[in-house]
Amino acid sequence: MDRREALKRVGFLMGGTVSLSVASGILSGCQAPAAGGYTYQTLSATQGELVATISELIIPETDTPGARAARVHEFADLMLTEWFDVADRDHFLAGLGEIDSVAQSINGATFVDNTEEQQVAILTEMEDAALSDASGDQTPFFSMIKQLTLLGYYTSEIGASQELKYVHTAGEYRGDVPYEEIGRAYS
Amino acid sequence: MTRKNVHISQETEGYDAIVVGSGISGGWAAKELTEKGLKTLLLERGRPVEHSTDYITEHKAPWELNMRGRYNRANAEANYAVQKRTGQFRAEAEHWFINDKENPYIEDKPFTWIRGNHVGGRSLMWGRHCYRWSDIDFEANLKDGNGVDWPIRYADIAPWYDYVEKFAGISGEKLGLPQLPDGQFQPGMPLNVVEKHLREQIIKNFPERILTIGRVAILTEALPGRAACHYCGPCIRGCSTGSYFSSQSSTLPAAVATGNLTLRPYSIVQQVIYDETRDKATGVRIVDSETNEVLEFKAKVVFLCASALGSTQILLNSKSNRFADGLANSSGELGHNLMDHHFKVGANAMVDGFDDRYYYGNRPTGFYVPRFRNINSETRRQDYVRGYGYQGSARRENWGRGNDMRGFGAELKQQLREPGDWRIGMTAFGECLPRHGNYVRLDDAVTDKWGMPALRINAAWGANEFAMRRDMAQSAAEMLDAAGYRDVSTYDSYTEGGLGAEVGLGIHEMGTARMGRDPKTSVLNEWNQAHDVPNLYVTDGACMTSSGCQNPSITYMALTARAVDHAVSEMKKGNIS
Repeated sequence: MDRREALKRVGFLMGGTVSLSVASGILSGCQAPAAGGYTYQTLSATQGELVATISELIIPETDTPGARAARVHEFADLMLTEWFDVADRDHFLAGLGEIDSVAQSINGATFVDNTEEQQVAILTEMEDAALSDASGDQTPFFSMIKQLTLLGYYTSEIGASQELKYVHTAGEYRGDVPYEEIGRAYS
Repeated sequence: MTRKNVHISQETEGYDAIVVGSGISGGWAAKELTEKGLKTLLLERGRPVEHSTDYITEHKAPWELNMRGRYNRANAEANYAVQKRTGQFRAEAEHWFINDKENPYIEDKPFTWIRGNHVGGRSLMWGRHCYRWSDIDFEANLKDGNGVDWPIRYADIAPWYDYVEKFAGISGEKLGLPQLPDGQFQPGMPLNVVEKHLREQIIKNFPERILTIGRVAILTEALPGRAACHYCGPCIRGCSTGSYFSSQSSTLPAAVATGNLTLRPYSIVQQVIYDETRDKATGVRIVDSETNEVLEFKAKVVFLCASALGSTQILLNSKSNRFADGLANSSGELGHNLMDHHFKVGANAMVDGFDDRYYYGNRPTGFYVPRFRNINSETRRQDYVRGYGYQGSARRENWGRGNDMRGFGAELKQQLREPGDWRIGMTAFGECLPRHGNYVRLDDAVTDKWGMPALRINAAWGANEFAMRRDMAQSAAEMLDAAGYRDVSTYDSYTEGGLGAEVGLGIHEMGTARMGRDPKTSVLNEWNQAHDVPNLYVTDGACMTSSGCQNPSITYMALTARAVDHAVSEMKKGNIS
């Protein structure tokens, strides 16, 4: 929702008695994230660009911005740093190395320098391999980066509120609403 | 900390009453005592929390939370190894959970002890479901011979349910069921279209069962100083509009308004002081967790509301010549008969149809299926005694289903723009029998950083619970099948000797200082008053003689208000001074 709509809604919901902290909490959700300034903690800049490239292939820009605009690569770096355990982190980083060496050996250039067509072909093959991987020891790299991308994208401001429908403070609960009235899936 | 480095300062001015713990029970004790004119000291072991201003994650969007709400793994593993076993432990609420490293306990068998450590306690973290008990619950021990008889019946507590429900604000639907008495309800929140469908199917196929909206301490109509719910969703972050009942939103403001309350955070009560010459409790001994000072506070009456195991730990650590095994423990039952609700068992299904239906708003509760087993002779089970209820909800799948879908790119993005199929699930909360062999005791070899001996906890489910669990899964699946849903599957998260559905995870720990008629077999009498020490009351989950299957907090509220009324009347009569 835009700022004006949010303000209107606050007034409507709370009858004007809303505390400042509630109002700022609701409104802060309407501001754009601070641009730039992210420093990678686990990924190198090159790896970060590789993650951004793959994530944009998974959730590309269409009539709404894609994963790169939602800065999924920064989210992935944070998750690798603070959430992943060591084994998963190593596995993920090895996967990044592998996708580059596959790109090199097939197409003679790193993945980010491949054409989009070449990149899609490699990812498709990786997905097929991931889906047929029955070892169960370790989540395949493709599944990892797809999960990170979906999570990072759909919980970002762009993914949650531009691509999908984000309802912050509904003010009511209705249990039976025609879908066309909402028009999009909730984030 | 070594004891010799501290000095014991004596507070010369005494209070009328001391309340230990500021959670749901302690908040009620403080409100009732102060409103009856008693100068009351409320001691809280944790930090202060101001209503509204200290709800630091409230109303943040997912993208405003670090890692969208995931916790830092290294920090969680180092400091919250137990707390992170509950799904409630998330970054948005991490600041409510106790630091496990600083507050150790020993698990003889898996026992997950989830604790708050702040003013308001778990009243800021609870699930907010409120269900009255009935005489089916109060008479159960007597009828089937497990545990000891409750010293009260429904008629004793019913007016106190009325009293606390009106103030706390409970929304829900009246059903006229003998096993789940109606109360003072605000209008219930709506069921969604699929939940309504399941309700109709259950009524049609199982006449003895009903599905209703959860009865919760969340307002659908404003109360003084508190607004109706605005359906933002994550209650555990705190609610600055006071729409759900917490000590902060409800009982503490009332206590403060009397001018009779002194609230002291950072006060870890280690002992109740017992005077053998006068045969009564004279106050409590605390450690100030900020200064490490040991302090004593005096009062005419002491209310322990430090949570079931917290209150029992204090009593076990209050030793004297007369009570060498813990204060008020002449029965030897102190620490025993530990109970919790066993859950994490039930069924899920996918629901076809309703593709053109959706919902609006983040409803902070789900549906409830009240107990339908062992209510009367028609519902009697051969394989187990007591019963269980279900909590559940239906919703449409969201973008998360994309992880299980093949493909990527614009097509996947377009597909995830639409909501997925409807999914419905329910999990059971079952009654746990009181057993002497489920117990806690002090372990002098392990202490916290303030020198308090840690609890050693030894509790496990028994044959009755396991037999009940099989029925809990099957009956859930049976209802979903009968409703015509697809891909019905049962689950049971229990693992033998491991985690998943271990005792404690229900966060409804009860017992260890039970009420009873006989001082030889129980710790507390029918007024939550220690048989052995008349000016000592315990009104939190420790007092429970059986566990029921209903979420217990509303019963603690009612028992606490009732106990305060008794204590003050005894003081007026001169029986407590």
